[in-house]
Amino acid sequence: MAKNKTLIAVGFEGSANKIGVGVVALDGTILSNPRHTYITPPGHGFLPRETAHHHLRHVLPLLRSALDDAGITPADVDCLCYTKGPGMGAPLQVSAVAVRALSQLWGKPIVAVNHCVAHIEMGRVVTGAEDPVVLYVSGGNTQVIAYSEGRYRIFGETIDIAVGNCLDRFARVLTLSNDPSPGYNIEQLAKKGEKFIDLPYVVKGMDVSFSGILSYIEATAVEKLKNNECTPADLCYSLQETLFAMLVEITERAMAHCDTKDVLIVGGVGCNERLQEMMRIMCSERGGKLFATDDRYCVDNGAMIAYTGLLAFAHGMTTPLEESTFTQRFRTDEVQAIWREKSICGE
Amino acid sequence: MDPMASDAGFDVGDRSPASSGWEFVCDFEVDYGSEEHAKIVYATLTVDKELQPDKVKRQMSISDGKLKVHFEAVEARFLRASFSAFVDLMILTTQIIEEYN
Repeated sequence: MAKNKTLIAVGFEGSANKIGVGVVALDGTILSNPRHTYITPPGHGFLPRETAHHHLRHVLPLLRSALDDAGITPADVDCLCYTKGPGMGAPLQVSAVAVRALSQLWGKPIVAVNHCVAHIEMGRVVTGAEDPVVLYVSGGNTQVIAYSEGRYRIFGETIDIAVGNCLDRFARVLTLSNDPSPGYNIEQLAKKGEKFIDLPYVVKGMDVSFSGILSYIEATAVEKLKNNECTPADLCYSLQETLFAMLVEITERAMAHCDTKDVLIVGGVGCNERLQEMMRIMCSERGGKLFATDDRYCVDNGAMIAYTGLLAFAHGMTTPLEESTFTQRFRTDEVQAIWREKSICGE
Repeated sequence: MDPMASDAGFDVGDRSPASSGWEFVCDFEVDYGSEEHAKIVYATLTVDKELQPDKVKRQMSISDGKLKVHFEAVEARFLRASFSAFVDLMILTTQIIEEYN
């Protein structure tokens, strides 16, 4: 491993409704990063079996375009990375199986990657944030994380559903389009909101809870809309303000604990510009800085898996074929982030 | 090397005695025409165990470039679910071999 900077990884991500294949070099250069999203009709969520079929249809065309766009051949690849978890079982299995077969055909090692850690590392390398408090918010996860002694520790998290799940399911109540994502359409509609509707605000210490808020707004939305007491835009606006205020509160508390001034927002909900704006105000009041990215890197993608796998690979970690399993539950703090212990690369 | 799906043979039935509990059985084989390719498919698909071993059992073996698969289940719906998920991934593996061999 003398020529560290020339190491190249291919990463496969398919833990939820997106399948992506990315090609990345160890210095963080993204050579290609195509992805395809499974978009369901308005009012519907995505189910494991159908989502896996979507991934099965798209994974090989995506691999082909990832290699072509990057201008590389299989011989140039140093390792094959895939999302081990957390996520939905059947969709995860598609990436795992693809990587196992390619590993044998190309004679390349496999690296299993934690999806949450991959979001963090992608955010760090794209924004240059060195040691921030991380808010990871998506359709399946809501965590406040900071690095300490070899691991990404979870300081606060949701005790029921993820914030993105709350938004997605409210979008179904309003039958908003899922294209490009339900959260994006809520964000656009919220800009037209004028009246703030009081909703439950549920912060429990370092943790948050969203399921009660969802039940409340599901029940009252229909009633209030029928009686012309408010508009769908008012509800989107009120829901966003409430949820994001809760997230800013627990993030600020984690910052006080860790004595850290900077915040990095990652995950699909992290593209929401209103969330970024609220967090930016809080950070500036504390003399810190907000680091955030746009949908190319926030939303699940193959490059984040490739990059994080490559960090581990550069430190001698690989996953034997027989152990290249997937798992629906895989906590962020289970991973030994050995690449952060010695400041060798990726910074 | 050769397209292989045409060589697949299926044998589905409830032949076992009812007393065993594993009444629903499915056997099939795919001729890859290459021991090496059959081994790649085997090694790829053997990593994931059946999720409900008390309800569905799967066995695989290789001979003469053929991958043989045997399913046993206690109910038809478990057999169908496991079988169809398995075949989807077997097709993906086969496509990868065809494209990148």
